[in-house]
Amino acid sequence: MSGYAGQSIWKSLGRAAFLSVAVSFVLFPILWLALGSVKTRNGALAVPPEFIFQPDFTAYTRIFTQGFLGSFQTSLTIALTNVVLTMVLGVPAAYALTRMTGKVQENLSFWLLSVRMAPLFAVIIPLYVLFRGIGLLDTPIAVALAHLTLTLPMAIWMLVTYFRSIPIDLDQAALLDGATRLQVLWIVILPIARPMLASVGIIVFIFSWNEFLLAFILTSRDAQTVPVAVASMAGTMSFDWPLIAAVSIVSMIPALLFVGVAQRHIVSGLGAGAVK
Amino acid sequence: MLRDWRFWFFLPTLLALGIVVLFPTGYLLWMSLAHWIITEPGVYFDGLANFRTLFRSASFYDSARVTALYLFFSTVIMMVFAMLMALALQHSRSGILRSAIVLPLVIPPVVAGFTWRFLLNGEIGFLGAWLFPMVGLDVNMLSNPSGALVSVIIADVWSRTPFMFLIFLAALQGIPRDYYEAVRLDGATAVQEFFTVTLPLMRSAVAVALLFRVVDAINTFELIYVMTKGGPGRATQTLSLLGWKTAFQNYDLGGAAALGVVMLVVTTISAGIMFARFMRKA
Amino acid sequence: MSIHFKQRALVAACVASFAASPALAQTEINVVGFGAGFAWADLFGATGAEKTQKLLDFEKEHDIVVNMEFADEDVARQKVLLDLVNGTGDYDLVMLGSDGAVQTFSAAGYLEALGPYLETAPDLFDPAKVYPPFLEANTVAGELYALPYYSFGAGAVYRKDLFDKYGISEFPKTTEEMATALQTLKDGFAADGITDVYPLTMRGAPGEEPSLDLNGFVYAYAGYPAWFEGGPTTPEEIKASKAQPIFTGDFKEGFSTFVNWSREYGPPGIAGHTWVDMMNLYAQGKAAILFPSAINAFAGIPSSEVPEVKEFSAFAPSPAGPSGKVVQSFWTFSVGVSAFSKNKQEAYEVLAFLTSEDVMRDFAEVIGWPYTTYPSIMHSPTLTDKWPTEMLDQIEASFYDADPHYFPYIPELTEFMDHIGTAASSAISGAQTIDEALDELQSWATERMDRAGYYK
Repeated sequence: MSGYAGQSIWKSLGRAAFLSVAVSFVLFPILWLALGSVKTRNGALAVPPEFIFQPDFTAYTRIFTQGFLGSFQTSLTIALTNVVLTMVLGVPAAYALTRMTGKVQENLSFWLLSVRMAPLFAVIIPLYVLFRGIGLLDTPIAVALAHLTLTLPMAIWMLVTYFRSIPIDLDQAALLDGATRLQVLWIVILPIARPMLASVGIIVFIFSWNEFLLAFILTSRDAQTVPVAVASMAGTMSFDWPLIAAVSIVSMIPALLFVGVAQRHIVSGLGAGAVK
Repeated sequence: MLRDWRFWFFLPTLLALGIVVLFPTGYLLWMSLAHWIITEPGVYFDGLANFRTLFRSASFYDSARVTALYLFFSTVIMMVFAMLMALALQHSRSGILRSAIVLPLVIPPVVAGFTWRFLLNGEIGFLGAWLFPMVGLDVNMLSNPSGALVSVIIADVWSRTPFMFLIFLAALQGIPRDYYEAVRLDGATAVQEFFTVTLPLMRSAVAVALLFRVVDAINTFELIYVMTKGGPGRATQTLSLLGWKTAFQNYDLGGAAALGVVMLVVTTISAGIMFARFMRKA
Repeated sequence: MSIHFKQRALVAACVASFAASPALAQTEINVVGFGAGFAWADLFGATGAEKTQKLLDFEKEHDIVVNMEFADEDVARQKVLLDLVNGTGDYDLVMLGSDGAVQTFSAAGYLEALGPYLETAPDLFDPAKVYPPFLEANTVAGELYALPYYSFGAGAVYRKDLFDKYGISEFPKTTEEMATALQTLKDGFAADGITDVYPLTMRGAPGEEPSLDLNGFVYAYAGYPAWFEGGPTTPEEIKASKAQPIFTGDFKEGFSTFVNWSREYGPPGIAGHTWVDMMNLYAQGKAAILFPSAINAFAGIPSSEVPEVKEFSAFAPSPAGPSGKVVQSFWTFSVGVSAFSKNKQEAYEVLAFLTSEDVMRDFAEVIGWPYTTYPSIMHSPTLTDKWPTEMLDQIEASFYDADPHYFPYIPELTEFMDHIGTAASSAISGAQTIDEALDELQSWATERMDRAGYYK
């Protein structure tokens, strides 16, 4: 029984009322999107709205026949590359950061945060010039690298709070046994941190999957990501809401799978280190 | 330093971010000092002219005001909403509710913007044309200057609260139960309990969430652009949209860079202050 | 990835040519455009990602590989701009609008003047066969910079059943009559308790969106492009006469009418509406008149499920303003050759092909709207089988009635269009009065022109 059970009935009622309002607010647009995806183009725009209608799944079949799957593949490539890069770079950095103290640690932490501060519209041209210069323009790796500015600082910050909760004694013991730092990280720290790594990985994946502007600017032709495809569809001469809705719904699936499978880990992973 | 393992552990991150951040920032600084307007061929060093033009332009102050309003209200609402949800769900064993609440996280802001724009549309939208009039709310959200700002904030809260909720929920669950026992024995109310035990213990989680949120809000672009294009008029034109317009519609690359530099400086300073206040002691 | 893609394209091209020809290095021409599945659906399929036999035949014959990239109209501009600003030359052909990009990019030196190329592929594109105004719209200071694709002139599409119902026997010929008709419709709707049908649908979103139509109003009321004293339309003329902006002067009447009509007769959300909303409202049977960019109604009618919209929609020529000139709305989505292209001749050949009579005929066939850039298509069964001849003649007349330069052709055009549209949106929403919006526009314009060195 939780600590709150048995308290006033008003409190539980209030909680239930608040939760139902909150959950409807959150779910309603998604439900609307899902409904829209199985309506006809006209039906989607009808007022009063159609609640009872013959579902029409043509929008979904069109996703598969019209080649939008290509953008799913691109998005997946970019997001997964980004997750791997973020983890490979971020885990050692976060670990090192937790084993530092004082000014250096503070300054590095703040520097990491500041990485996200330059407005995108202002750095688009420099980024374009940069990637053109190193010949990576129009490659998924360029997008994955650019996404590091969003995901790496976030990942390190989250990991740092977690790693800090792991007693330094564990490090010391392993070091006394003759392990190198890399071995300490690999054998001692990482196994403990597995749920946390999973949750950070998922969040990084979602952020990368959702990002639009950088993905758009740095890729062309066949490296189009899902949000870019959605946006380009909305701009065509026929406002095809069912198709936009269907792509949006399908685009949620990969991230949804991760969240669904691991949502417990996300919270427990984040939770273990958050209060420090 | 070269013999310190920590240096080598941090170096790859330093290099990777250095490349994608330092070069663009340097380039941005140079651009902000250049006369670079596409309609006037030729790029040359022009000192602080871009900054002078920026500080003289009415739309800069206008957009700064819109940004401040948007930033303040969306952040406050988001934090309260996220905190309430986290509190309401902290002891819940049901993963379903939690999963439901984090759903918007997996929807790209572009799509969130389209969806809300469509929902709120005053002529064909479910909310704007049907539900609102039915309950007697006769206001066209998207074409009314204040309504548009409210709409953008609603959509933003919808889209970004889940991330904050996760951070808060995680922090809440990390608080050991026995911390509460003492105050409960003293007969504290739930509200007192929250302010004396919960909140102080969540300080660093709140600070992290707040820091990321502020940086995120200042750079919000797609969601607003898709919903209102900054309008009606300039009612929802934040600095981010102004910058985008300056660069890609008015073709004044130097001017946009100057705005970018100003925003970078302001964000860095305010984040620095927050960082110093909340994080150091934490 | 791009290398990978190029390999694939090469393989595809080889297969297409049955690997018969010797392995020549084929020229690749990269195109960026918007409207996937709409633009060039006859060449790139309904997704914009395929290649039809027709395109493959062209590629084979000319030994060129055409790579098409479709994107959202607004954001695609960023990419074009990045490419041009940095002189990358990755895009050989770029899509442009005749309401800003053509003027701005040509002034910046990003576009290749097409004059010398016109004779190099006469079998593909012959300027003499195209409606002259569409070429004129893409001509800056005497040089042609782009060839027209999807293009339109002004007009109104209206619901004859609603006109009949409220006793309006014919579509107004002047803006004065139009105001009366709008009021009649409004009163009629009010009397019948109809609250979700509006007399008029136009667009009032911030940015350049409303400017195309709004400047058409200004032109009809003032009788000339009333941006600067005396109505100069080129930088040289403005500089010669040191003409100051007159947004608080002759510009005002047309602007005010546009704003007032939007407020009085338009849908409540009009201050945020783009052509998409305009189209949706008309298609949903929620507007009696769509005006003056009539083409947006034709875009909505085919998918409409409202029987009255399908049955009773009619076209009418744009009414004349007090000056005697008709309200304008004239635009071409055109394509130009990047000055940084490494294969300009081949790029031009692709361009000529993309805007050729043959391709335009297929385009007209696919979309089925009564618009085209070729008189020969206008009068061919492609359109005459679908539309009444009288209507096609009226639409053709709207091309000839148009003054493609109904706004000044200055390099700063995009910026002006943006500020004018935003001022309109602001006034329509009530955030500013008409006078406040125009005062602000006037002072911005004065400073901008001064800064650009027009009055030195």
